[in-house]
Amino acid sequence: MSHTPVSRAPVHNVGGSVRAFKKFSFLGIDRTFLGIVPFLALIGYFFFYPIAVVFNRSIHDSHNHLSISTYKALFSGDYRAAFIGSFELAAYSMAISAVIGAAICVALVKTNGNTKRVISAIAGVLTSTGGIPLAFSFIASFGQEGLVTKALLNIFHWDIYAGAFDIYNFWGILLVYCFFQAPLMVIIFTPAVENLKVEWQEANETLGGSRLQFIRHITIPVLFPAFLSSCLLLFASGFSAYATAAAMSNGTIPLVPLVIGNLVDGNVIAGEANQGDALAMGMIFVSIIVFAFYAVVLRIARKK
Amino acid sequence: MRKQFIIGTVAAIAVALFPAVSSSPAMADDAAFATCTDLASCGGMDALIKAAQAEGSLNITTVLRNWADYGDAIDTFQAAFGIHINDDNPDGSSAYEINSIKTAPEASAPDVVDIGASHIQDAMTGSKTGGSIFAPYKVATWNDIPALWKDPAGYWFGNYAGQIVIGYDAKLKVHPTKVKDLLNPVFKKVVGIAGDPTGAQEALMTVFAASVANGGSLDNVQKGADFFHQLKTIGNLSGANADSTHIATGNPKVWFDWSFNALGTQQAGQQIGKTFYYVKPSDAGILGTPYIFGISATAPHPAAARLWVEYMMSENKGHLAKDLAGDEATNVASGTLDGAKLFGQLMGGQNIFTLGGAIPIEQVAMEKKKLLVPSPSSIFQPNPAADKLTLQQPSVAQQASATSLLKMAWPKI
Repeated sequence: MSHTPVSRAPVHNVGGSVRAFKKFSFLGIDRTFLGIVPFLALIGYFFFYPIAVVFNRSIHDSHNHLSISTYKALFSGDYRAAFIGSFELAAYSMAISAVIGAAICVALVKTNGNTKRVISAIAGVLTSTGGIPLAFSFIASFGQEGLVTKALLNIFHWDIYAGAFDIYNFWGILLVYCFFQAPLMVIIFTPAVENLKVEWQEANETLGGSRLQFIRHITIPVLFPAFLSSCLLLFASGFSAYATAAAMSNGTIPLVPLVIGNLVDGNVIAGEANQGDALAMGMIFVSIIVFAFYAVVLRIARKK
Repeated sequence: MRKQFIIGTVAAIAVALFPAVSSSPAMADDAAFATCTDLASCGGMDALIKAAQAEGSLNITTVLRNWADYGDAIDTFQAAFGIHINDDNPDGSSAYEINSIKTAPEASAPDVVDIGASHIQDAMTGSKTGGSIFAPYKVATWNDIPALWKDPAGYWFGNYAGQIVIGYDAKLKVHPTKVKDLLNPVFKKVVGIAGDPTGAQEALMTVFAASVANGGSLDNVQKGADFFHQLKTIGNLSGANADSTHIATGNPKVWFDWSFNALGTQQAGQQIGKTFYYVKPSDAGILGTPYIFGISATAPHPAAARLWVEYMMSENKGHLAKDLAGDEATNVASGTLDGAKLFGQLMGGQNIFTLGGAIPIEQVAMEKKKLLVPSPSSIFQPNPAADKLTLQQPSVAQQASATSLLKMAWPKI
C-alpha cells in the first residue's frame, strides 16, 4: 500500500483503515490474504485440481492398482520418440521465432507510434490465431491447390511442389508454428527493447564509444535476460501446441500432444488413458523445468 | 461473524464452480423402460413408441450426417415418430462417447452410443462398480445378428461395417484399381490415409488392407507398415489427413476410405465442382470390424433409446422421410398407424446403412429374406476382380496386436 501523501484528509483515513484492517486475522493469516482467495480458488480448481487428477490416474493401471509402469514406458520406443519430436519442434520454432521476433522489435523501436501500433496489433491477432484457422490458412495459401501455389505456377511457371517442398511434413509444421511464435516474441520482447534508454546511447557517444561498443557492452547485456526468458516462453508454447499439428499431420510426425490425443480420445486404443496421463505428467515436468529456468532468469534480470 | 463470512465466500465459490446437480427428469412410469430388455418386456412396440414420444427427444453423440447415411436415418426417425434427435459432438471419438456416458450431466448425456469394437471391453467394465455402462436390450431382429458380434446377454451388438476402398480425384490421369497401384510415381505427395492407425479405426483397417495386398496377413500387419514406409520413401505419402476437408483442398488426391463415406464425400465434392471416384481394391478385401450399439444404463430417455435401436436394426424396405409421398406420408404424419404398420412404411435402419455404402450386420439374413435393398451401383467404379474377393474381417484380438505393433512402427515409417 502506498503511503505517498496526496492530501491531508485521505492520508489520515487510509492509514486508519489499514491499521484497522490488519487487526483481524484468520488462523494467524493476514487478512489481506482474503483478496486473493477468489484467484487461488480459480487456479486451484482449474489448474492444480486437474493436475492432481491426472497424476492420480497416471499411477493407477486400468484395474485401479498402483503402478508406475506407465512412467517406465516414457523412456522407450514410441513415447520417447514423441518427446524427442516435440522437443525438436519446440526448440527449432523457438530459435527461428526468437531471432525474427527480436529483429522486428529492434526495428520497431525507431519507428513512429502508428507503425508500432499497427505492427503490435497484427502481432496480437497472429498470436491468437494459432491452431486450426492458421493451419487452414496455410493449406489455402500453400497447399497443392492453394492460392499462392497456383499463382506462382500460373504467373511465374514455378511449381513449388516440384521439389522437396511440402507443408505436410516436419518442416511445413515448423513453418506454420513460426507464424504464431514470432508474433508472440514481438509482443513479449517489445517492452524490454523499449526500456533501452536513448540517454544511454547519448552517454555512450559522449564518452566516445562506438556503435559496436554500445551494442556489445550495453544492448546485449541489458536485453539478454529478457531475450532468454522470452525464448523459454516460446519453447513452452511450441512444446504444448496441439491443434495446429493435429490439423496438419496423420501421426507420421511423433509429437507428445498427438500421442496423448490417441490414448485418451481415440477410436482404436481403449483402456490406456493412464498412459496418456503419464505422458501429460511428462509434459508438465518439462514445463516445470522451463518455468524454473524462466524464474531464475527473471530474478537475475531484476537484480541488474 | 468473520468466520461465517469466509465460509460463506468459500461456499459461494464452490457453488459457482461445481456444476449444479439437476433433479432427475425421468417420469415415474418411465422407469420401467430403463430396465426392460426386449419388446415384450417393454409392453410391445406401441407402448414403446408412446413412451418414447412422451420423452420427446433422444440424445445421440458423435454421429456425422454423411457417415453411413446417418442423416437419412435421423430425418426418417424424427419424421415418423416426432421425436427430436440431439446429436452432440459429431466429430468425437469412441473414447469420447464412453466418457460422456460416465461424466456428462444427466440431461445432456447420450442415450445410445455407436462405438468401435475395440472399446467394448472398456464400456463393459466402465461403470463405477466395475460393471457395464450399458443396459441389456435385445432388438426384435436379434437372431439375424451374427453370434460373433453380439453380447449373449444383450449389453452390446454390432450394427454395420465398412469395407476399405480407394477414393480418387476423377481428373487424375491414372485411375487406381488396387492398393499396390498407389506406388505409381504419378501419385507423388498425394496418397492419403485417414489419420494415425493408433488413433483412427479407419486408418488401422487401411493398414490391414495394405498388409493383405502385400502378402501379409491379419495376424501380422508388418507388411502393411512396410508398404506405407515404401510410400513415404518414394515420396508418394501425403502428410495430410484423408478427411473430407483435406480432400476438398486438393491433397490427398488418392486416399483410403470407408465404403460408407464414399457417397457423402462425392456429394460434398459436387458442391465445390469436383468429381471423386471410388473403387474397391482388387488386391485387398478388408471388411472392418463392425461398429457397436450400446444403450446407456443411465439414459435420460430410455424408451427413445430402445426405439432408436429397434429402428436402426429394422430390416424393412419402405421409404426414407424424403421419399414418403401421398397416402403414405399422410398416414405416417397422422401418428395413427400402429407400430408394426409404421415400421413397414419406413426404410429400416439396416437398409439405410446399405444405401450409404455400408455393410449392415444383418446382411446375410436380410438377403435370405429378400429384404436387402441393393447398394447404389453409382458409388463405385466397376472392378470385377474386386467383386470376386472374399472379404476378410480382423477380429478384436487381431486389432489389438496390430495396434501394439503400429504404436512402435508408425512413427518410424
